[in-house]
Amino acid sequence: MSLHLNLYHEVIKAKALKRRDPLKLTMYALSAVVAGFAGYYVLQAVKLHSLNSELATVKEEFDKLDPASKAAKAREVELSVKLKAGNLLVKKVENRFYWAPLLEQIMQVVPREVQVTRFVGDVSGEGPRRCALSIDGLSAGEDARHVAETLRTAIAEKISPQHKNVTSKFRMLEDGIEMAMLDGKQVPTATFAINVEFTSGEEPAPEPTRRKR
Amino acid sequence: MKLGKEEIQKLVLGGLLVIGVIYCYFTLLLGPLSRRQAATRKGIEDLGPMIAAAKAQIARTADVERAAPANMEATRQVTSMIPDGSPVAWFPPRVGDFFKQHGLEKSTTRLAGEIVEKEMVGFRRMSWSIDLPKVAFVPFATAVASLENEEPLLEISGLQIESGRDDLGSQRALLTVSNYVKQ
Repeated sequence: MSLHLNLYHEVIKAKALKRRDPLKLTMYALSAVVAGFAGYYVLQAVKLHSLNSELATVKEEFDKLDPASKAAKAREVELSVKLKAGNLLVKKVENRFYWAPLLEQIMQVVPREVQVTRFVGDVSGEGPRRCALSIDGLSAGEDARHVAETLRTAIAEKISPQHKNVTSKFRMLEDGIEMAMLDGKQVPTATFAINVEFTSGEEPAPEPTRRKR
Repeated sequence: MKLGKEEIQKLVLGGLLVIGVIYCYFTLLLGPLSRRQAATRKGIEDLGPMIAAAKAQIARTADVERAAPANMEATRQVTSMIPDGSPVAWFPPRVGDFFKQHGLEKSTTRLAGEIVEKEMVGFRRMSWSIDLPKVAFVPFATAVASLENEEPLLEISGLQIESGRDDLGSQRALLTVSNYVKQ
């Protein structure tokens, strides 16, 4: 067996040490990690770019729609105000209080023994209208007070079918000092004042509410 | 394999370097990028409902505009019944002519005031008093019926009939009326 002398063992050892240099190995690993990270970063940056493009498109669409939407809203408000006023006007025209039928009804119940000297009527309120009448007059007959009473009840009965909450009350009923000529006879008189109150028209229908989905 | 002191130092240095790189990557690069992505996504998501609402508003207004002519027909008809110009100029002569046509020659119409109705945009409600000094009840009642039928924008809010002391056959009538006129 021949003797083999390694005279380069120092060199070989230095080479081996250099080959497994931890710093170098760490740098390799780090480079790989950095490359991976850089790739992922680029991927995310591309994704952000596409998101930015999408946002710009959406913003552009919104910028176009927003003024149009605001103008549409203003127009809708303007139209709805006009429509509301128009509908209200039509409703008011339809819900007017008519005096002619009332005058006709009262004329029908006033007997020949009664002379109405003053008739005052007032209507107030919206929707259901509150109507107040004041009828002053002179009744004549053997029982002039009874004639006036008959008129008072007749007015209430005549008005009741068409109107609600009808009340008919004497404000005043007194024997008259004058005599009246009726059917060729002198008969006593009574002066009266009747207050009639009633409600006319219907309650306004409530506004329809929008259903929740 | 036994690591020397110098190798251990290098390993520690390498480890610190890796930690530093990772920290910098996540803190300075990926973190802000992710935040910007989240903000952009939120912006897109926020704009979605706003765009939908704007489109819905435009569609709703278009519907209202399409339906408006039909809905406003009644208003147009009513408005066409109101003459142009100051009501004081045309209303009293109109009332006077009306009662003359019904045989009531004398009538005086005076402006009593204006009733404010905020909801009635484009219209005003004027209040008038009409004095008829000499009327017979039946012709007067007939005239009232015609007035109510022929003047839909007019409403009698008060009515007073009083018989005269001297002539029981004739009465004095006073009407309080209100009518709608253009603003």
